[in-house]
Amino acid sequence: MKKWRYDSARDLDQTLVERLRRFPREPDMLVYGLRSLVALIIRGWLRAYHRFEIVGHENLRDNGSFIMVANHSSHLDALCLLAAVPLRKLHRAFPAAAADYFFKSVPRIWVAAVVVNALPFARQVHVRQSLSICGELLLNPGNILIIFPEGTRSTTGATQDFKSGIGALVAGRDVSVFPCYLDGAFDAWPKGSFFPRPRKVRLIVGSPRNYVSRTAEKINICAIAAELRDAVKELGRNNGYD
Amino acid sequence: MMSPQIALHDPIFCAYLWIVPFSLIAGGALLALLKWGFKKEIRSMWRTYCSWLIMAPLALLVVFAGRIPTIIGVTLLAIFGFKEFARASGLYRDWWMTSAVYAGIVAVGAASLMSHPHGEEPGAGWYGFFAAMPVFAIALILLIPILRNRARGELQRMSLAIVGFVYIGWMFGHLGFLANTNNAYGFICYIVFATELNDVAAFTFGRLFGRHPLRCKISPSKTWEGAVGALAVSMLLPWVLRFSFPFFGVWQLVLTGLIVGIGGQLGDLSISVIKRDIGTKDMAATIPGHGGILDRIDSLIYVAPLFMHMANYYYRLR
Repeated sequence: MKKWRYDSARDLDQTLVERLRRFPREPDMLVYGLRSLVALIIRGWLRAYHRFEIVGHENLRDNGSFIMVANHSSHLDALCLLAAVPLRKLHRAFPAAAADYFFKSVPRIWVAAVVVNALPFARQVHVRQSLSICGELLLNPGNILIIFPEGTRSTTGATQDFKSGIGALVAGRDVSVFPCYLDGAFDAWPKGSFFPRPRKVRLIVGSPRNYVSRTAEKINICAIAAELRDAVKELGRNNGYD
Repeated sequence: MMSPQIALHDPIFCAYLWIVPFSLIAGGALLALLKWGFKKEIRSMWRTYCSWLIMAPLALLVVFAGRIPTIIGVTLLAIFGFKEFARASGLYRDWWMTSAVYAGIVAVGAASLMSHPHGEEPGAGWYGFFAAMPVFAIALILLIPILRNRARGELQRMSLAIVGFVYIGWMFGHLGFLANTNNAYGFICYIVFATELNDVAAFTFGRLFGRHPLRCKISPSKTWEGAVGALAVSMLLPWVLRFSFPFFGVWQLVLTGLIVGIGGQLGDLSISVIKRDIGTKDMAATIPGHGGILDRIDSLIYVAPLFMHMANYYYRLR
């Protein structure tokens, strides 16, 4: 008789927290089920409490890998962008989250890994390494990367400068980049506030851009970051905000 | 039959409320003696002990909370135990098979919770459905490749799913079904306490006197000395804790000792066979010092059904 080949999970000898912290995570049916359920609840909550509305939803009908880039002023932002992703693609949508904030304490790791499906992004120490993890992710068709290139939540609600890392990630890479503008999230749940307030939140999804023809030189990278920031701000301006 | 109010007035449960903390304190004192009296290195044993300090009160709390929490608790342990098995054997990649087994485990829990729809069986728990559960689960598992119209590698998947369900879901589920019996507190508390004590005794005797390997190809650290010592402890324990089942005669007490003493070892070894073949040391790293959930409940998987059917044969349990 030929020997059976067991295809064990690669994180078998790791503790629960280590398993949640590692990336990419192993597929887990129970986690997927819980995440889908929580996503439905969050979508309901956003609709009812924040009268959440998505403009330009049809732009996201893309079966390849793509990146969503948005302004960042609130913890609601990642949840809103996730709410724009079709439910069947939910487990392949990865918001990049600060490793030094979301992957520190056990409850935060649990929320980040199970509910949000976050990609731990080491924004302070290993930026290059984190960017290469993002790049590998985009090689698999169907993965969605959600990035807030400001690097942190804005304390005033105004969109800050984009870090050049986003340029390094998309320059010369054949992926669609969707600029997105989030309006109202800052009023609803600003940094430092404990609980969200019932303010209207709107997400505007712009048309995709592609930077495959650009080279990854320093000057190019910074230009792309600035262009993307302008595109995001433009979306807000065209719709009467900012 | 089981509820917090009844538990507080139940002499058997109250006795275990004393026995379990006393055993934990005695174990801690023994470790302290080893460390400071004999200057032994006990770091790994200390980790194992600390996990016991959390698991034992948690188990008592669940039994105290009543019949429904006990059955749900056993079902959850079975679900997460199977999850470890599925992750180790690679079955977790097949979502169809995994969901079929999860559904089967939930059905085992439901059969323990519900009563016979026409009231033909006395008491809570639908014994007929519970006992027939493997038929339905295996039928479902065999149906999956037919529905998906694929054959390649399916025998391995079906086999793993059936072993996972019958062994972890159904056999371990008997522990939950014991909550429906008239003597629920005595049976559950005794079986869990005696089986875990049997494990600890096997480890202790093995460490102290272990020379001859029990099954060298399966688990190199288990010895004949440990197994015999554990069996001796388990044969003695039914007499010491006879108040747990006052209606048991001598023959039943001997059988109980044999089931716990031998069944416990076999349960341990059978999980070791699986682990050895897969090529992993522990099923997971969920419980510090113990390995996975499956490494902890392995002996109970063997003991609980054998004990239940033994007791059911001699006495009307419900």
